Amino acid sequence: MTLGTHTWRRFLLLGALLSPTPAGPAGSAAGPPDVDRLLAHLDDLYRSTSSVARIEIRVHSPRIERTMRLRAWTRGEEEVLVVIESPPREAGTATLRVGQNLWNYLPRIARTIRIPPAMMLGSWMGTDFTNDDLVKESSIRKDFDARITRRSEEPAGWWLELVAKPGVVGRWARIELLVSDELLPVEERHFDRKGRLARNMRFDEVKVLGGRRLPAHMVLILEGEPGKRTELRYLDVEFDVRLADDTFSLSRLEQNR
Amino acid sequence: MVGTSTLRIAWRNLWRNRRRTTLALAAIGLAQALVLVYGGVFQGYGDWMLESITGPMIGHAQAHAPEWRRDRAMDRTLAHVSAALAELRRDPDVAAAHARIYAPVLAAAGEQGYAAMVLGVDAASEAGPAGLLRGVAEPLDGRRVLIGRSLAEMLGTRAGDTLAVVGQGADGSLANELVVVAGLVQTPVDLVNRMGIVMALPQAQELFMMPDRAHEILIRARAPERAPAVVERARGLAGLAGAEVLDWKTIAPQLVELVDLVGAAWYFILILVFVAAAAGVANTMLMATYERTHELGMLLALGTRPGRIVGMIVAESLALGVVGVLLGTALGIATVAIAHRTGVDLSALAKGAPEELSFAGLSVSMRIHPTLNVGHVVQGIVAVVLTSLVASAWPALRAGRLQPMEAMRE
Repeated sequence: MTLGTHTWRRFLLLGALLSPTPAGPAGSAAGPPDVDRLLAHLDDLYRSTSSVARIEIRVHSPRIERTMRLRAWTRGEEEVLVVIESPPREAGTATLRVGQNLWNYLPRIARTIRIPPAMMLGSWMGTDFTNDDLVKESSIRKDFDARITRRSEEPAGWWLELVAKPGVVGRWARIELLVSDELLPVEERHFDRKGRLARNMRFDEVKVLGGRRLPAHMVLILEGEPGKRTELRYLDVEFDVRLADDTFSLSRLEQNR
Repeated sequence: MVGTSTLRIAWRNLWRNRRRTTLALAAIGLAQALVLVYGGVFQGYGDWMLESITGPMIGHAQAHAPEWRRDRAMDRTLAHVSAALAELRRDPDVAAAHARIYAPVLAAAGEQGYAAMVLGVDAASEAGPAGLLRGVAEPLDGRRVLIGRSLAEMLGTRAGDTLAVVGQGADGSLANELVVVAGLVQTPVDLVNRMGIVMALPQAQELFMMPDRAHEILIRARAPERAPAVVERARGLAGLAGAEVLDWKTIAPQLVELVDLVGAAWYFILILVFVAAAAGVANTMLMATYERTHELGMLLALGTRPGRIVGMIVAESLALGVVGVLLGTALGIATVAIAHRTGVDLSALAKGAPEELSFAGLSVSMRIHPTLNVGHVVQGIVAVVLTSLVASAWPALRAGRLQPMEAMRE
């Protein structure tokens, strides 16, 4: 089982943050939790079967404000389908991920285009997310050495530091993750290979969605680009839904939805 | 100091040893001719590079929204572009001005997408001298586009094929369109060849939600050196208020260095003439005075003033230098003139070298047309004359100090 390092990617992919059972306190002010147990718990926490959700994305930049509504389907770790519902100009535009492949479907010109590796770091649908964020698979336990660094009082939880293991090639050298006592992510900071803070993500508005308690709202802030941020909010989520077998296929992608 | 009779005598003296004088003249003349040919090649190359650099991609000056050059963000646009262009074109020093859009896109002929760049260009204006579309026959209009040769190869497309183009509008929205490949282009600009999808400006403005907007206005002045003045005036235009207007030297400083380097290399070559002239004149005149020690002693004994002797030696040096440099100039000018007409293929000279070099994103042809620089001619002549004078000093001083009795005993 791999645990995506990108909590927020899980968030985006909806397989994330799904806890079938209440997490229960894992450590408290009395003492830090055991790292291995915590990671194992996070593994379980993020394990998912399938989901259907409605999401609102707000893109803020110094000169542009945009709001998009999406409908998203996921199955396991490898299959994702996102379809834009509004604004009308983009409605029907879809992104399909199967394994490491990513396609965009453009209804206006009725074309499906596979995203080339060279554009993986490009913006996904004009947001601050990259295409890579939808595809990138990496494992905390495999790629990073994790340890609990300190107690956080407000909000109550623990800071984890994840340092890339020697020889692991990836965008991030270090990740700081704040996990609440409820074992939900609160904040995640990504540091690039030069040790600079590159992205900051905050998770809040914890509420019951689809029968589970999870943060419904996330903000992604790119460092060094003042005024730029992307907000993502669940409107509704359904978990463990039975999906048609061809949900994540190109032919289905091209069908009129 | 030097009368015509002295000059006449000096000239006659020079030819008392025909072979030596001929050799000295040949050395000086060939050096000057070489300098002019080299200078011509450098000048031609420099001109060509300047033309390539300030040509289709960089122009003589550019206007952008502030910060656009830093991140090339789609939404950093110039507004009211047509008004700004109209104002710019009224400037008598502006030969041409055209607006451009640069939009990174995903392009696909089939299912596989490739990274590409849509260049929205003003087809009519860019067809002019140093425009991107100079010499391109295919018309750009509507959804008909031209694509760079390397990109076409990668995409596997030919003229007539349909291409899907997906990018982001200036308003952040998704831009997608099907375009028809009208033709393939090979331009001096690497970016265009590798990634370029050249689209008519109005179509690009519509596709990327940029009504009357563009990312860049490229300005071509009547001459590169007028760029700073044009920039100065452009900054004051109402249509470009708030825009960043820069000349080519500011935009591409590394290219300026290259052009300067080519100019500096010429001075190195100029040293060659100094050395050739100095060696030729000094050697010839020293030999001549040694040979004629007895004769000079006789002249002194007969009452010739030492000053006259010195004057004669200097006159001989000068005559040697001037005649040599004039012959060389004639030869050099003739060679450069011929080479200018036919062009010199540097790649043929260096066997196996490529016909084009790519430097800083520009393809620079290896075929150059040497051009005569009047400054080089004058500098060469002055250099030889000065050197001849200096080189005559030693033999002249020696001759002037001769003691008649001792000299006649030689």
